[in-house]
Amino acid sequence: MNARAVALALGLAAFAAALAVLAGVLEFGLAQPVMIAVGLVAVAIGLRALFAREPPRNVGTPDPERPTAVPVPGETLRESLGAFRSIETSYAVTSRRTAAGLRAAAIAVCSRFGGDDEQRARERVESGEWTDDDVAAAFLSPSLERPSGSVRDRIAAVAGRGSRFDDGVRRSVAAIARVGDGESDSSLPRYDPDEGRSARDRGTRTATDPIDGTQRRRERATNYWHGIGVVALLAVGVGVVAETPAVVLAGVVGVGYAGFSRAFEPPELDLSIDRELSDDEPAPGDEIDVTVTITNERDGFVPDLRIVDGVPAGMAVVEGSSRLGTALRPGESVRLEYAVAVGRGRHAFDPALAVVGDLSRSTEREYLVGAETTVVCEPELRPVAAPVPLRPTGATVSGRLRTEEAGAGTTFHSVRQYRRGDPLARVDWNRRARTGELATLQFHEERSARVVVLIDARRDAYLAPDSEATHAVDRSVAVAGRIAASLLADGDTVGLAGLGALPQEADTEPCWLAPAAGRHHEARFAELLATHPQFSTIPPTNEGRWLWQLRGLRRRLATGTQVVFLTPLCDGVSADIARRLDSRGYPVTVVSPDPTADGTAGERLARVAREVRGFDLRRAGIPVIDWPADESIDTVFARRAASAGDHR
Amino acid sequence: MSEITRRPTVRSSVAAGAVVLVAVLAAGSQSASALGFGAVGGVVFAGGLATGRHRAVDAGALALFFGVVAGGLEAPTVEATIVATVATVVAWDLAHGAIALGDQLGREAETRQLEAIRAISSLLVGLLSGTVGYAVYVFGGSGQPVAAVVLLLVAAVLIVVGFGGGRAGSTRRRRTRH
Repeated sequence: MNARAVALALGLAAFAAALAVLAGVLEFGLAQPVMIAVGLVAVAIGLRALFAREPPRNVGTPDPERPTAVPVPGETLRESLGAFRSIETSYAVTSRRTAAGLRAAAIAVCSRFGGDDEQRARERVESGEWTDDDVAAAFLSPSLERPSGSVRDRIAAVAGRGSRFDDGVRRSVAAIARVGDGESDSSLPRYDPDEGRSARDRGTRTATDPIDGTQRRRERATNYWHGIGVVALLAVGVGVVAETPAVVLAGVVGVGYAGFSRAFEPPELDLSIDRELSDDEPAPGDEIDVTVTITNERDGFVPDLRIVDGVPAGMAVVEGSSRLGTALRPGESVRLEYAVAVGRGRHAFDPALAVVGDLSRSTEREYLVGAETTVVCEPELRPVAAPVPLRPTGATVSGRLRTEEAGAGTTFHSVRQYRRGDPLARVDWNRRARTGELATLQFHEERSARVVVLIDARRDAYLAPDSEATHAVDRSVAVAGRIAASLLADGDTVGLAGLGALPQEADTEPCWLAPAAGRHHEARFAELLATHPQFSTIPPTNEGRWLWQLRGLRRRLATGTQVVFLTPLCDGVSADIARRLDSRGYPVTVVSPDPTADGTAGERLARVAREVRGFDLRRAGIPVIDWPADESIDTVFARRAASAGDHR
Repeated sequence: MSEITRRPTVRSSVAAGAVVLVAVLAAGSQSASALGFGAVGGVVFAGGLATGRHRAVDAGALALFFGVVAGGLEAPTVEATIVATVATVVAWDLAHGAIALGDQLGREAETRQLEAIRAISSLLVGLLSGTVGYAVYVFGGSGQPVAAVVLLLVAAVLIVVGFGGGRAGSTRRRRTRH
């Protein structure tokens, strides 16, 4: 404090003296060495600070316009190999572990899709006859020598670091995928050992908690003009030493800017934000217009205001921009208009982020401005065009599900010997007339199904083939609504359950809606799909306690209840859940939205792992209906009905 | 889905390009070496602006300013140097503003008013300090200008230290540096 006052006093004195010299009042001859010394000191200060200059640090802004990104299955090869892990691959150096993991994968696909048993598959991988790619065969078998390839291969091997290994990985993965698909897709996947998440993730939310009014979050110096003062001093120093007025004046201009950079403080902010939507209850996929009116409520000029509206994670801006840079006079309003595409769920707007600078931009303050707007977007319950593929076992109430049991019905099942008490209407009178025997016709019993749609919304199920695509949980939830609508229309009873993370702070229960029918039930079903936190369109941050939730679910399920399990089937747990439920006597049908991609080695291997899981479930008697990302559920169910023979 | 183009805003970039051209021409009118430095600086500056790199803009502007100083050392008159200096600083300011604004709000956002205020304030400061300096030079030319300027310089530094040291921003800046 004292030193500053002294500096200020001396500075003012020097200023007065300079004016006096200029006016000719004071004869003040500075000796040449003194002037040079002052000049050199100025140059030194300038140079020193010049090297310390950093680029301005502005407040970074998130990307609320974008829906939350979810990972692609198999982002790294290691992750995909983990699906095939067995005891022999438990620990090894990376390259050995990769080869061992790929070997396990090759054995797994050969023993499923190659028609061999496990032992035979192991031998075939060892001998290399499982594939016609020599490089892949040698890569996975310690007893085989890598073929001395063409000149081009050798050049490639010399040119790239580790490219021989990489090439082996790529070819092996391609060969494994070929066995898995049964297709002759000869393209090689990309493989980058250092692959992983994208470098810069800005996040998609401005703030996670709602806010009232305007709240200051932080203030920071941007260092925007940092360095201009020293460059100016440098110029003045050079000018003084060289006795060149032009250069000194150039420096004086710089000093002017340096003063400007320190002259202002950013104003305090008091904004009000009013948000209007063209539709409060849109259907999923609808585009709605958002009009935001921002008003400066303080009687002070805001020279530099940058606003990023807190678009919820379940919405994507499709037209216009939800950002604005402007200046606001006291009481002035500005409008911001943009259009968003709304996904299923309950979307609450986050507070808008407002960055305020002073006129010189040296200091930035970050504010959050709360303005609550909530949109609830319920999935539409439109029946699927094709019948829902259920298991042919029903509940005790008669209905329209054709079971395998023989009894009364409309579709012929079998003929058996007449027993006392059989209804006369079902006696085969033609046979009686022909042969004199009494026989009874049996029909497929038609019962109503009691179904619970179980949605896998664990964190591991939030997967999509690319950043633009709908993720597996959203697809599952959408199809859950449609399955329910179909079944309810057929007179079945449908319930809803979910497995997945719950918000920690609120004590919410896992989703459970007991099977029932009726309009009210249908509305409740749609509401739960849209609003239950387990089915949030934003991936949860915590792991759900799926085992505990599954136990709770089992206690609630009545005997004979069918389970339609919606899961991407991209990890071992999902298959495990299906098996556990099925073995407890709840017939499970897995409907699996496919979120896999095939660009990289890891992605392609994840796809193979998913196919293996599906195969194993089918072998255990659980039907798995694969739903590719580019097909509608109607097509998938129709194909299923055509191939499996109509059970309805 | 509309992706955010986090690149320098168009209006400020165009303005910065135009102003940097003025600076190069004004500096280059003094001497050949000034034109050389200015041209190289201008190209680096434009490249940094196009790719949105703060450091490249800094380097380009610095080379350009070096050219301005080099021209000033050989110049018989001061006017072109002052104009070139103001133009250099304004262009540098606009470029950084464009990059930062592009990064924060993206190209799609409506930022016309904000950019206009920034450009005008920056230009005004330059013109004002340039005019004051020029006035001192013209009217005080008969006395002992260099001595007076040295005193002015010392005064400016001390006053800046006296005023500026207490600002919250600058103390924080010092703290974060460590």
